[in-house]
Amino acid sequence: MATDRYLAADAADLVEVDYEPLAAVADPEKALAAGAPAVHPQWPDNIAFTFHQEGGDTEGAFRDAEVVVRQRITSQRLIPTAMETRGVVAEWRAGERSLTLYSSTQIPHLLRTLLAGILGMPENHLRVITPEVGGGFGSKLNVYAEEALAAFVAMRINHPVKWIESRRENFQATIHGRGHVDYFELAAKRDGTMLGLKLKLIQDLGAYHQLLTPAIPTLSVLMMPGLYNFPNISADIVGVFTNCVPTDAYRGAGRPEATHGIERMVDILAAELQMDPAAIRLKNFVPANAFPYATATGLSYDSGNYAAPLKQALDAVEYPKLREEQKRARAAGRLMGIGISTYGEICAIGPSPATPAGGWESATVKIEPTGKVTVMTGASPHGQGEETTFAQIAADELGVDIDDVLVVHGDTAVVQYGIGTFGSRGTAIGGTALYYALQDLKAKVKKFGAMLLDTQKVTLAGGTCTDEVSGKSVSFAEIAGAAYRALKLPPDTEPGLVATRFWEPPNFTFPFGAHIVVSEVDRDTGAIEIRRYIAVDDCGKIINPLIVAGQVHGGVAQGLGQALWEQAVYDDSGQLLTGELTDYAVPKAHLMPWIESSHTETPSPVNPLGVKGVGEAGTIGCSPAVVNSVVDALAPLGVRHIDMPLTPEKIWNAIQQGGRA
Amino acid sequence: MIPQAFDYSSPRSLHEALVLLENGEHKVLAGGMSLVPMMKLRLATPGRVVDLSRVPDLNRIAESGGVVRIGAMATHHEIETSPVVRGQCPLLSEAASHIGDVQVRNMGTIGGSIAHADPAADYPAALVALEARVRLVSAHSDRTLDAADFFLDAFTTALAPGEIVLELEIPAEDSSEGYRYEKVAHPASGFAVVGVAVRIKKNGAAISMARIGVTGMGPRAFRDRAAEKLLEEGADIARATAAVGAGQEANADLYASADYRRHLAAVHAARALTVALSRAS
Amino acid sequence: MKIAGAHTVPAAREWAFALLQDPVVLARCMPGCQALERTGDGEYHMKMKMVLASMSGLFDGRVKVADSCPPESFRLTVEGAGKIGFMKGEGVLTLAAVDGGTGVAFAGDVHVGGTLAAVGQRLIDTTSRMLIKRFFEKLGAEIAAGEAARAAPYPGDLY
Ligand SMILES: Cc1cc2nc3c(=O)[nH]c(=O)nc-3n(C[C@H](O)[C@H](O)[C@H](O)COP(=O)(O)OP(=O)(O)OC[C@H]3O[C@@H](n4cnc5c(N)ncnc54)[C@H](O)[C@@H]3O)c2cc1C
Repeated sequence: MATDRYLAADAADLVEVDYEPLAAVADPEKALAAGAPAVHPQWPDNIAFTFHQEGGDTEGAFRDAEVVVRQRITSQRLIPTAMETRGVVAEWRAGERSLTLYSSTQIPHLLRTLLAGILGMPENHLRVITPEVGGGFGSKLNVYAEEALAAFVAMRINHPVKWIESRRENFQATIHGRGHVDYFELAAKRDGTMLGLKLKLIQDLGAYHQLLTPAIPTLSVLMMPGLYNFPNISADIVGVFTNCVPTDAYRGAGRPEATHGIERMVDILAAELQMDPAAIRLKNFVPANAFPYATATGLSYDSGNYAAPLKQALDAVEYPKLREEQKRARAAGRLMGIGISTYGEICAIGPSPATPAGGWESATVKIEPTGKVTVMTGASPHGQGEETTFAQIAADELGVDIDDVLVVHGDTAVVQYGIGTFGSRGTAIGGTALYYALQDLKAKVKKFGAMLLDTQKVTLAGGTCTDEVSGKSVSFAEIAGAAYRALKLPPDTEPGLVATRFWEPPNFTFPFGAHIVVSEVDRDTGAIEIRRYIAVDDCGKIINPLIVAGQVHGGVAQGLGQALWEQAVYDDSGQLLTGELTDYAVPKAHLMPWIESSHTETPSPVNPLGVKGVGEAGTIGCSPAVVNSVVDALAPLGVRHIDMPLTPEKIWNAIQQGGRA
Repeated sequence: MIPQAFDYSSPRSLHEALVLLENGEHKVLAGGMSLVPMMKLRLATPGRVVDLSRVPDLNRIAESGGVVRIGAMATHHEIETSPVVRGQCPLLSEAASHIGDVQVRNMGTIGGSIAHADPAADYPAALVALEARVRLVSAHSDRTLDAADFFLDAFTTALAPGEIVLELEIPAEDSSEGYRYEKVAHPASGFAVVGVAVRIKKNGAAISMARIGVTGMGPRAFRDRAAEKLLEEGADIARATAAVGAGQEANADLYASADYRRHLAAVHAARALTVALSRAS
Repeated sequence: MKIAGAHTVPAAREWAFALLQDPVVLARCMPGCQALERTGDGEYHMKMKMVLASMSGLFDGRVKVADSCPPESFRLTVEGAGKIGFMKGEGVLTLAAVDGGTGVAFAGDVHVGGTLAAVGQRLIDTTSRMLIKRFFEKLGAEIAAGEAARAAPYPGDLY
């Protein structure tokens, strides 16, 4: 064990590894070809699994179709690149036979359960602490070897062990995202009515299954109908091993791929039928009076008014005027594009039967003897700001000052068991568990208040409990003190003010929205300018607008990253070529457009807060809006589709070819 | 991400520095913006690093007799903001303003940049267009080369072991000149996929002098003398720049192919010239 | 990565062919070559020190000459591994008489791995071409200086 990082690096340098290079394959389609090198000799065809999903009568729909459009669409491999890389500190206390593990994980409780098995130690001797974490985006929704290794070594040498991942290691040892090759076929009538969709989805799994690797493409299939009202769907997933880093959940996890596919296909269909892309969407949306809506993939969309955000976005850009401007621009030889994406997503993941390790969430609320409120949530926020949102929920429900509320998370020794942060679930599920715990406590506080005021009906607000009849009041702190001193108790009431709730959601939630991108392509260089970015997101009830704005902005930034810049590139031997931030282009502040963000609010009936989730929406809505916009800009040249990332050279080549055609 | 152990010297005089550097294995440390990342990746493992930051006056910027002298340790930020450089060779200031980000400009130096000779560095385009000269000194030599002869190839310069870049000598631009530095920045590294630096003198409507320096396109920055000549002979910008970069090797990487780089060089040469023309009086 | 190019060697074709396969010449002209030892027919063990800007690295590797068709073509493989990565270049060199000597055209693949490849993407193409260029420049210089003549026996009856 090295005593500092320098020594560790020196020692690692002394290790000489003599590699015997084996044949490798880094591309999922090449991995499927006959004679491709086998990533695992025991699975010579490189196929890890196949999965078929079907709803309605897809063959019939295609038979009846008046028009069928087909397109191969890829969603390239991405590197999640959280600002903070992974890190682990393990401390073994031999006397107590207890292990404390600090880890930047998204799932402290699950990590503890799984580590107990890996290390062969009783779970209750293990404490996982997740301090403030600089982003995860799904990449820390895993149990990683280093977490177990650091723990193992700490126990072995009876000394704390620290491991901090370097950026290079992060790029090569932490999961990647996306990695789809999709073959879409969309059947429709000449009037634009969509009838059915077929998808062959080739998922690049990388070399191994990580925690949720095979689950991600199934999420894509579930969401492939998007916001559209047609019952016929057929999808086949082929999960393929390659000699690359495993893919797993990355912001959006399966939904950006699905949305990108369907939203590109709708635009391709609109172009084929020479219909307006807004009109074809409005024509095919699930109508607002059809909720709950059963999809062909077996989901039940909770609530929606899909036309509302699109209309709001169209108004924001003054759509008819904008199309006029585009006509004039085109006449002048300029390449101006307008791209629309209307996305639907699946959030609040998820009901336990649909989630590998439980899909509920927990909350404990303690009103301390001084009246201060401590909230302990099983969700483990990662910089999304639930500390604020949850404090706000508690303050609103209890009628106390938000500064009196402390939100605690990410310590398995302090917080009751919980599931974690992913799938835009924190507020919709964790917040709901909190809401119910607060209802329990509110009732109890009122009982104590009524007892102290010697009355029946009281209200809680502004830090006091007031007798509705006499107007006399007692402060929240006095009630709390009384509940703990317990000189006198209301009938059938125990001392203390603590409540815990575990809430199991009955369904997912389904946020939606519309993004519009106005772009201009430089004909000479292929460079893209995003002139306007309009995001209208409906994430149900909004608790804190600023936090929602932060999520939308960050989400859009990552969507732009995929649309325009990011791509993990491997050579044929499986060497990662984009191994550092000098080659892998993440979005940067100076590359961001101004985001004109607004909302519609359609409450979810799934939970009493009416919230849906917003952590991934920006990413999901973004990339198809960008690509649709750029393809629209190039449409006069006969361009129909371009795969991401839209690098200037790719665009320039498309212009050259289009110019020739 | 951890460098190997190394010794560190911080000489207080040029003489002391040059004597230390007589050992050709020692590495000069200037702003550290190129050297330190390499050391952290252990791609560079110098036994001793000789830090020039305490050698007095190495960052001096002054003009006399129509020549601007810029010390090797002048930072990109100093060059970007120096009234002397802005007034006498604004093309160089403009190029400096495009380098990396604020942090890099505050630390990185012109001497380090040209000694490193990254094919995608910004300065070299401006320096060849400005017909700058580079003064190199060692414990027992002192010579001055044209910038065009200093840059030999990718990461390869005329610096001999033991020699350092002492300063740059740049003939002041005529105040009637128009100039422009146009850059296509790599979205990840910020380096120039292609950068074009131009200078123009007008004589009525005609162009009496044109200088075009291109960086990023090939293994080293070059002046496109053919295009310069066409302009001076009266060709219009489109015609003169159509073949910018012809006959030069072009780099390729994941981001941009050789053909695309060549194309960008031509397009941006034209754009730079258009701006420069509008600035010339 | 595919790589191709052509250089002129100021020597007649037969001589150029002999020089290009001569271990002493190869050792002198390969950039950074510190030692080249014969290990078998057309196979050599090589130690190389690559210095490029502030980077430097020691490589331990192998040079192999195969498919020799004098004086027209042969296949050259150069591979090496060191702490900072590994590389392998393999290609066919084709010789043809041209004005001023022999045109040597090459076409092949360069493959770089490890740290070098993961962090040096934007430099690999440029530097591989530069190293090849340096090799031929050095070869030209050696020939001009008459050094090569001493290294390789004068192929009298071929010339
Ligand atoms: C994030 C980032 C982005 C960047 N973007 C750009 C960009 O857009 N455009 C651009 O042009 N550059 C860019 N750079 C590089 C930057 O400009 C460096 O500052 C420059 O290349 C090296 O200067 P330095 O003073 O930091 O030199 P150092 O890193 O200290 O040294 C570099 C090399 O030069 C040698 N050296 C230094 N000074 C001398 C001297 N006086 N005489 C002889 N040898 C010397 C050193 O020994 C070393 O080999 C970027 C760097 C970073 C980290």
